[in-house]
Amino acid sequence: MVGFTILGGYLGTGKTTLLNHILRNNHSLDGQPRRIALLINDFGDINIDAQLIESQTEKQINLANGCVCCTLNDGFTDALETLLALEPQPEHIIVEASGVADVGNLSQYGTGQELKLANVIVVADAETVREKANDKYVARTIQRQLKTADLLLLNKVDLLTEDEQQNLTSWLTELTDGVPVVPCIKCDIPLAMIFDLKHRDFSSDKTLHGHEHYQGWSYNSQKPISRQALNEFAGSVGQEVLRCKGLFANEAGGSLELQVVGKRQEITVHESVNRKDSQIVAIGMSTQLKPEKLNALAETLFIDTC
Amino acid sequence: MSITIYQAKKIITMNPSNPEGTHVAVREGLILGVGSLDEVSGWGEYELDISFSEHVIVPGFVEAHAHVMAGGMMLLPYMGYFERKLPDGSTAPGIKSYEALVEALKLAESNMTDAETPLVAVGFDPIYFPDQPRLSRHDLDEVSETRGIYLQHASGHLATVNSAMLAENGVTKEMKIEGLGREGNGELSDELNGELREPAAMSTCKTGNRIVQNINQTEQALLDFGALACNAGITTCTDLAGFSILAPKLLSMWQEITDDASFPLRIAQYNIPAMPGAAAAFDEIADQFIALQKKETEKLRFPGVKFIMDGSIQGFSALIEEPGYFSGEDHGQLLTIPEQFADWLRPFHRANLNVHMHCNGNLTQQLAIDTVEKIVREDPWLDHRHTITHAQLTTQAQLRKMAKIGLCANFFANHLWYWGDQHYDITVGPERANSLEPCASALREGVSFSIHSDAGVTPLGSLHTMWCAVNRITPKGRVLGEVEKISAYEALRAVTVSAAYQMHLDHEIGSLEAGKKADFAVLEENPLTVEPMTIRDIKVWGTVLAGTKFKAACVVD
Repeated sequence: MVGFTILGGYLGTGKTTLLNHILRNNHSLDGQPRRIALLINDFGDINIDAQLIESQTEKQINLANGCVCCTLNDGFTDALETLLALEPQPEHIIVEASGVADVGNLSQYGTGQELKLANVIVVADAETVREKANDKYVARTIQRQLKTADLLLLNKVDLLTEDEQQNLTSWLTELTDGVPVVPCIKCDIPLAMIFDLKHRDFSSDKTLHGHEHYQGWSYNSQKPISRQALNEFAGSVGQEVLRCKGLFANEAGGSLELQVVGKRQEITVHESVNRKDSQIVAIGMSTQLKPEKLNALAETLFIDTC
Repeated sequence: MSITIYQAKKIITMNPSNPEGTHVAVREGLILGVGSLDEVSGWGEYELDISFSEHVIVPGFVEAHAHVMAGGMMLLPYMGYFERKLPDGSTAPGIKSYEALVEALKLAESNMTDAETPLVAVGFDPIYFPDQPRLSRHDLDEVSETRGIYLQHASGHLATVNSAMLAENGVTKEMKIEGLGREGNGELSDELNGELREPAAMSTCKTGNRIVQNINQTEQALLDFGALACNAGITTCTDLAGFSILAPKLLSMWQEITDDASFPLRIAQYNIPAMPGAAAAFDEIADQFIALQKKETEKLRFPGVKFIMDGSIQGFSALIEEPGYFSGEDHGQLLTIPEQFADWLRPFHRANLNVHMHCNGNLTQQLAIDTVEKIVREDPWLDHRHTITHAQLTTQAQLRKMAKIGLCANFFANHLWYWGDQHYDITVGPERANSLEPCASALREGVSFSIHSDAGVTPLGSLHTMWCAVNRITPKGRVLGEVEKISAYEALRAVTVSAAYQMHLDHEIGSLEAGKKADFAVLEENPLTVEPMTIRDIKVWGTVLAGTKFKAACVVD
C-alpha cells in the first residue's frame, strides 16, 4: 500500500518550500531514504537543487535519493497510474494541490486499492490567511480548504508577534472546529509529521533533531491491549498530540495499529499479524505535549495478563 | 474554373447589405454573389443546380461551443430519458422506466460477442425518476451477474455499476471513499449500492471507466461527430476544449480525417493550455499555439485558447455572486488563482490569440471581466474578441462593462430547456432563472453574443438552440424571462455570424457574401417566418461545405 498525502494551501503559503524541504531531507526520517513521489503542477516553481537531479524528462525528474517528481500535465488519474507503475514503486505519493483545489475531493483518491490516504496537510500563510479567508473570490474555497485539513501548518509565524499568533491560532481553531495548528517558519517541520513512522525512541530520535520546538514521546510494553481500550485512548489524546503511531498486541489475537495525524485518527485491525509487544510514539509541540500525561494515559491502556 | 449556381426558394444571407436572394453563385468553394439569377449569372458559364428550389438556404450554422470528441459517446449504447438522434440518422428511443432500461441493456448485452468485455452504456439520468428508488447494482444484476456493467450517467459525474463490475475491480465496502454509494443509512460500514459519484469513486471501476475515457479518442468518434453536425446543418464547429497542446499525438489523426474530402465539417479548435486549474509556463505555451496555427488546414483551424474557470450550476460548482445558491450546498470551485489569472492570460493576449473563458458562475465571470480589463489596459489590443463562454448568470452590470472592454458572450441557451425548471426551483431561484442567458439584454447593451449546445452535454442542433433563445420555455411549460426572448433573426445571427465573429472568422464564414466560403445549411422551412415554437422541428436537408453538398443521414430524396 502506498501512502498518500494531499498538500493544499493558497498561492504563496509555502507548499513549494515544504516540498523542497521533503526532497532534501527525505533521509532524515530514520536514516533510510524514503522513495517519495511528488505530483506537482509545474516543474518551473519547484526549483530542485541541481546536484540532486539524476535524470530528467519533460514529465518526470528522478532524484539521486530515490525521489521522483511528476507533473500533472496528463491529468490526475493518469499521473497517479504512472507513479504507481514505477519500479520500484514509491512508498509515498504527495499531491501538490493547486491553490484553489478542493483538497477533500482529491483526498478521495486515497482509495485503499493501491493508495492509502495518510493525511491532508494544508499550509496557511500567517500574514495573509485571514484576508484570503474573506476574499471576494476565494473566501469559501479557502475556508473549505482549512476545514478539510487534518493538520494546518501555520507558516511564516516569525512575521507575527506572539499575541498576533495566539489570536490567529484561536481564530483558525474556531473556524475549522479544532483542526490542530502547527506554527512553523519556512515550513520546517519534522517530516515524521507527514510520513509513516518507524519505531524508535523519540527522546533521542533524529527526526526531531534541530526541531527544538517539538517534543517526542514513546512507550513500550510487553502487554496486549483491547480494541475498546485503544478507542478510548485515541479519544482522550487531545490536540497536543499532532502525530502518533502505535502497534499493539491485540488481546483478541492479531494486532492493532493506531495512526494519528492531526485530527485524523485511524485504527486498523491486522488479524493475521501477531505481535508479542506493543509500542507507541507521538510528537507534539514542546509547549503542549506533556510526556507525564501520556505516560499516565498509556499505563491504563495495557492489560495485565499475569 | 466551373461555376455552380444554386437555386433556392429563399436565401437568407445574414449580410445586412444584401439580406436575401434566390440564387447563390459558387466558384472554387467561394461565393461569387447572392441575388436573383440575373444578378449572379454574369460571372461566366455556370451550371444551375435546382435541387434546393424548394428549400431555404441560410449560412451554415456555426456551433459556438461543443466537444467534438463527444461523438465517441454515440458509440456506446444510449440509455437517456429523451430520445436522441444518432449519426446514422436513426433515433435512439428515450428510456422511461427501469424495466425499459434493463431490457435495453439486456439487448445490448446479447449483441456482445465475448464474455469478458464489460458492457458500458451512457446517458442515464436519475433526475427523471424522482419517484423510483435510486438505481442500484441489483437492478443491473438483472441484466447480468457475470459480465461487468458500467452505466455512466448523463452528467458524466456519476455511474451505476453491477456487482460483477465491483467484483472484477476489487471494490469492496471496506473502501472509505465518500463517492461510493451505500445501502441502508449510508454509513461507511454499509453494503455498496453500486452508485459511483465523482471521478475518485468512478475510477475505482477501471475496467468500465477506461472504456468511456478512451472511446473519445477514436477516429470513429470524430467521424460520427461530423455526421451529427451535417444532420443538424452545422458547417463549422468550435471544439472548445481541444487537446492538441496537451496530447499532440492526436493531432495527426485529426488532420488526416478533417482533410478527407468526405468529412463534412470545419473545426475551429480551442485548445486548453494546461489541465484546468493548473499553472504552467504560459509564455512558452503561447509560442506552441502560434506554432500550431502554422499547421492549420482548410477544415481544421486553431483560432485561440480555452480556459476552464469553474464548474457547473446544476453541479453547484459554479462560483456565483451573493446571495449564492437558492438551495443545495455550494461547492463553488474556481479553477484559477485570482492573483495569477492575468499572468495566465497575458501571454496569449500579447500573441494576439483569442481567449474563450468557461464561466458558468457570475462571480467567476467577474474575475474574467476584471482580468481582461487589466490586460487590455496594459496591451491595448482593442479587437481581441475574448469571450465568456456559458456566461449563464451574466448580470446587467457585467454586460455594461463587457460592452466597454470588448468582451463577447457565448450563452448556453440550451440550459433554458434542459435545466430551466431545476434552476428556477432548486439552483438559483426564480429571479436569476428568469435572467439566465440574457440574450435580449446583451443585444441592448451592445455585447456581441452567440448561443451554444455544449454538445455532448446537450445534443448538437443549432435550430434547437435558436428555439431555446427565442421561446425560453421549460419542460414544465414556464417561460423564463419573457423580456430576454430574442427574435428568430437575432437567434440566427447568434448561431452564424456572431459565432464566427468571436473566433475572428467572420470574414470567412457565418454569412453568405461575395468572397466568403460557400457554406450553407439547407432547410425545408424558413426559420425566420415559421411559428417560433416550431423552429426546432424544421427538417434539415443537409449542408453545403465549400460548394460541396452533404446530405443529412436521415434524408430520403
